[in-house]
Amino acid sequence: MGLLTILKKMKHKEREMRLLMLGLDNAGKTTILKKFNGEDVSTISPTLGFNIKTLEHRGFKLNIWDVGGQKSLRSYWRNYFESTDGLVWVVDSADRLRLEDCRRELSALLLEERLAGATLLVFANKQDLPGALSKDAIREAMALDDIKTHHWCIIGCSAVTGENLLMGVDWLLDDIAARIFTAD
Amino acid sequence: MSYSCTSREAVCNNQDPSGAKKPSSNNPRSSGIGGDTDGGSGSGSSSSIGNSSRGNQASSSARPPVTMKVKKGCNSADVGVPATTEDDLLANSTITPEDVLGLQKITENYLCSPDENVYNIDFTRFKIRDMETGTVLFEITKPPATDKSGEKRDLDPNAGRFVRYQFTPAFLRLRQVGATVEFTVGDMPINNFRMIERHYFREQLLKSFDFEFGFCIPSSKNTCEHIYEFPPLSEDIMSEMILHPYETQSDSFYFVDNKLVMHNKADYSYSGGP
Repeated sequence: MGLLTILKKMKHKEREMRLLMLGLDNAGKTTILKKFNGEDVSTISPTLGFNIKTLEHRGFKLNIWDVGGQKSLRSYWRNYFESTDGLVWVVDSADRLRLEDCRRELSALLLEERLAGATLLVFANKQDLPGALSKDAIREAMALDDIKTHHWCIIGCSAVTGENLLMGVDWLLDDIAARIFTAD
Repeated sequence: MSYSCTSREAVCNNQDPSGAKKPSSNNPRSSGIGGDTDGGSGSGSSSSIGNSSRGNQASSSARPPVTMKVKKGCNSADVGVPATTEDDLLANSTITPEDVLGLQKITENYLCSPDENVYNIDFTRFKIRDMETGTVLFEITKPPATDKSGEKRDLDPNAGRFVRYQFTPAFLRLRQVGATVEFTVGDMPINNFRMIERHYFREQLLKSFDFEFGFCIPSSKNTCEHIYEFPPLSEDIMSEMILHPYETQSDSFYFVDNKLVMHNKADYSYSGGP
């Protein structure tokens, strides 16, 4: 986190945060976003662009960006990196075949300069599915323990039931707030 | 250092000791997780779109009402922006965000022509829900453009740029709402897309809303929901707004690279009937 960013935040005085939610297609990003905001999640179609929610949560003004994860869209992800305080990486824990894809995409993101100051939350989603890998198995498959450049946390969750979504977001906000808003 | 951030559900790693802080697990959101709704609709609102010869085209093109914030100049960007008039702006060849932020009242005219929407931005859905009950209060979708068939969809160039909303008085007493807009963009990428929306009751600015979408992927479909609290309105202004339908009005301005490319309008009734 650069000094400039800190100054900018302090200048704005509003406790505003920008969260960027990425992951492979069908990981459940949009479902997480909608469930978190109490919306119907029964009819969700692939995101062919972005979904934004702006809301207040615990006194923070959150701008949450969910950008489509299809292969053809991934080259556009970089257009949304600027000013990101928190990166939410969503994994379909039942999609064993694409775990390596998933790891590769994440590690590429972590090299991005414009995401260098972002806290990383990994949601091991779809824990409600019988074939889902555990959070620890995902942690290993994503090689999270090798990450030295970002604060990170992995949380097992289910977008469909809502389990642990709030906990994940709260961890993210606490980490960002500790880095940014208390700096003086 | 490493620490476990919350119970056994989570594993965290934190290299910065100063950031090693236990998260709080309280403070649940007011709208809450699991407050799943069945998307029920109705609840005393109706609308007529276009207010012209073609009500059934449902080509809504204004933003949903966000009229409740009775905070004058609540947009910090307004501070220090020089006042402008509609006549000033109509004389300009291009109109910028700063220009419209200086406006002191609702515009009489559209400040750009429909032809200036060269990026083919198309608003396809508006929805308002009450966050407390999860009820969808208002939802309208626009069918995909039928240009392919070669049909001329309409002759009125301003149709689709105006929406009339009709709500019941109860709408003014909502506490927290989510207003969703869905839009598609044409096959050119948009680098810097920004929306400024200004709501007035008579000459009083109720709310000025400024949001930067930034980049839009070519041929994409995008949504944006703003969830916000209504501060309570004074009884006086509420009864005035109820007594005088359609004197609550809004201008929605859309900019690409700081140049006005779309201008939509809406007006609002809270008297509960047509």
